[in-house]
Amino acid sequence: AEPLDLVRLCIDEVVYVRLRGNRELRGRLHAYDSHCNIVLGDVEETVYVAEDDESEERRVKTVKKQSEMLFVRG
Amino acid sequence: MSMQERDPKLENGPEPTADSDDPSAFLGEITGQVVTVKLNTGIVFTGNLNSVDGYMNIALEGCREYVDGNYRGSLGDTFIRGNNVEYVSRGKSEHLRG
Repeated sequence: AEPLDLVRLCIDEVVYVRLRGNRELRGRLHAYDSHCNIVLGDVEETVYVAEDDESEERRVKTVKKQSEMLFVRG
Repeated sequence: MSMQERDPKLENGPEPTADSDDPSAFLGEITGQVVTVKLNTGIVFTGNLNSVDGYMNIALEGCREYVDGNYRGSLGDTFIRGNNVEYVSRGKSEHLRG
């Protein structure tokens, strides 16, 4: 009956998490709490970096990182 | 010092036209309906409102993302942390395309 119950249903499933600072995570949800602190396993982090181009083109670079285990502060 | 009594006529704004008396009652009323959720960043989500809590955390089913009014993608079952929410509105916002 409350939104965090939806997160509980995702335990041990692969989830997609969007973070502040143009970052995304995809990994297996091992733990969470009401602060939205999160523990993910086998996770890939994607960082979107704005590239300043002198021409009119606006480019966004993606940087990908892998971790075996990641704690995300809520 | 004398305590002045509050005169209702001096309170801010006109009488509310909502169905409910207070904002939290509104949140209880709209569960199960299609809603539009706008975030502080300007991103808009629509979907079926599964639940809301006192922090304005939101669970949406069949969630769709819109940026600048344009459909960006489908996110399925989505949890949104309440601090990011600017508003929750009943129905799908008319200006959204797609």
